[in-house]
Amino acid sequence: MSHATIVEVCSAVCPWLALMWCLQRAARLVGLPLRGWTLLAMTGAIAAAVMLVPIQGLELARWVAGLNANFSIPLTAILAVIVWERIFERSLFSEREWTTAWSFGAIGGLALYPMALGLGSFDPYEWGWRFSLLFVAIGALTVWLIWKQNRFGFLLLLAVVAFQLRLLESTNYWDYLLDPVYSLVSIAWLAGGLMASMRSSRTKRFSKTLPPSISMS
Amino acid sequence: MGTGSSRHETSAIITGLRRSFWTRGVGILLAVALNCWPLFEAGTRPSGFVTPAPAVPANGSPFLLEETVNPDSPYAMSHVASLSELPDGRLAATWYAGSREGAGDVAIYFSTRSPTDTRWSLPRAIVTRESAARDLNRYIKKVGNAVVFANPVGKLSLLYVTVSIGGWSGSSLNLTTSVDGGATWSQSQRLTLSPFFNLSELAKNAPAALIYGSWAVPIYHELISTFPEVLWLDETEEGVRVTKSRVSAGWFGYQPALTPLTASTALAVLRTDDDSKAVSVARTDDGGETWSTPNSLSLPNPDAGLDAIRLTDGRLLLAFNDSTTGRENLRLALSTDEGQTWTRIATVVEEAGADFSYPFLMQASNGDVHLVYTWKRAAIRHVVFNTPWLDGWRTRSGR
Repeated sequence: MSHATIVEVCSAVCPWLALMWCLQRAARLVGLPLRGWTLLAMTGAIAAAVMLVPIQGLELARWVAGLNANFSIPLTAILAVIVWERIFERSLFSEREWTTAWSFGAIGGLALYPMALGLGSFDPYEWGWRFSLLFVAIGALTVWLIWKQNRFGFLLLLAVVAFQLRLLESTNYWDYLLDPVYSLVSIAWLAGGLMASMRSSRTKRFSKTLPPSISMS
Repeated sequence: MGTGSSRHETSAIITGLRRSFWTRGVGILLAVALNCWPLFEAGTRPSGFVTPAPAVPANGSPFLLEETVNPDSPYAMSHVASLSELPDGRLAATWYAGSREGAGDVAIYFSTRSPTDTRWSLPRAIVTRESAARDLNRYIKKVGNAVVFANPVGKLSLLYVTVSIGGWSGSSLNLTTSVDGGATWSQSQRLTLSPFFNLSELAKNAPAALIYGSWAVPIYHELISTFPEVLWLDETEEGVRVTKSRVSAGWFGYQPALTPLTASTALAVLRTDDDSKAVSVARTDDGGETWSTPNSLSLPNPDAGLDAIRLTDGRLLLAFNDSTTGRENLRLALSTDEGQTWTRIATVVEEAGADFSYPFLMQASNGDVHLVYTWKRAAIRHVVFNTPWLDGWRTRSGR
């Protein structure tokens, strides 16, 4: 298998996992009595078959690659974790690890995209092509997370392994760590969490101001 | 029983700790090693522009030749020409043509002309929407700007734009090469140059050759804001290595013309889309690592493409639309002080209401200066002249 083929296969993994996730949700909605390995094999095979369906002579996976050929490794691994957790109903990531994953996507995206798209004269994307502060920062973060037994550290480790093997079309380290989809989902997740906590604190404050007889609690 | 159970629990805890220690230890070692690995890799940012060749004696009498590169084009639209010289003295030109800009039938055409030929060879489509889609194995909506350049041993490289979604701001750059003078071309390769869906990277002008055989290609970005960049392109036996750096931040010009002055000094002459409506120039004195903030020149720019080169005698030559409002003329200007001041020296073409655009300049090894440009969006014109013609124009025109 040539390196180009490996890169094309890798670019299809993330959309394939996303489709698997959709199929699992659909299976649950219609009440299919499938669980565990059977559900994994079924949804995996159907998703793979759909990704290979030619539309106007081009597989669906390659249509997706036309829009984005560089889905980041954390996003791909997060999807794999979600799929696994849903199928086996067993948690792989703790609340703390999910918060780390979404925080990384949101903070990284906010640090990278505005400047890379022209805000200011500095382009952080340049850091991804040669040894730079980016490698030092990600290396340190990975070590710290692994030391703290935060499993998101292993996702970052996978990203650097994939970068060294050049498993994506891009040769820039940033593209192995982040992609716009991951960052947008992360920002939405964090914003949702922030709004929920604001609502909750407002409710608590409001209930404190009420007389005990009509307190909301 | 109780003692045995507690011993089992202790043993399980110790095993767990050992496993955790090994997992963490290996993970940490790998994280450190792999993130430090690029420290030991060869740098991908080449340093040093190839210094311009020494002046060749100017050919005796002034001459000027004008011709159409694609006189028999069946298409209504031709645009964005580029030019390069092969080691045997042949000229190679590329441009795109089709029923209209951005249409699905637009292809990148290639033609050559040797010094002994009386006309350009029959244009041949070397990249079509279909061939690009096949090479890149993805949907391609249209092809656009292309820049051709030759290395000293005659290997031709073609950097070209494709769009999968949206307009030109959705462009991505691709590379294909030819080792047989343009007869056959390699499978195109997508270059990932932007983190945002790899969108909005385009090229218009010629690259500058770098020491050790790599290239500094002037490119630009135009998604949310427009800004000029340099693509550092290294074509090795193992493949293509790229890095990119910024010439200036958003809203400070685009479509740069990269003009090396010395090994470490170069100018980026910029098309502008701001209210200044003037050509602007940024300068580097450290081989492209850092650039000055672009300064507006006294020459106008109607938000139109331009090109500039350093002639072998040290003067800078600029081809531009001399207007703040339209592209009705194409003029040449010279600078003898590294781009600080410019003097208009010749009008290449002028016609009220017409459109003459996207000039591309090149000085051949025999000293002749070549200019190709888009003529009324319908054809590609080629103008060749020598430096005595440039020097004599002011006298002849009486200006």
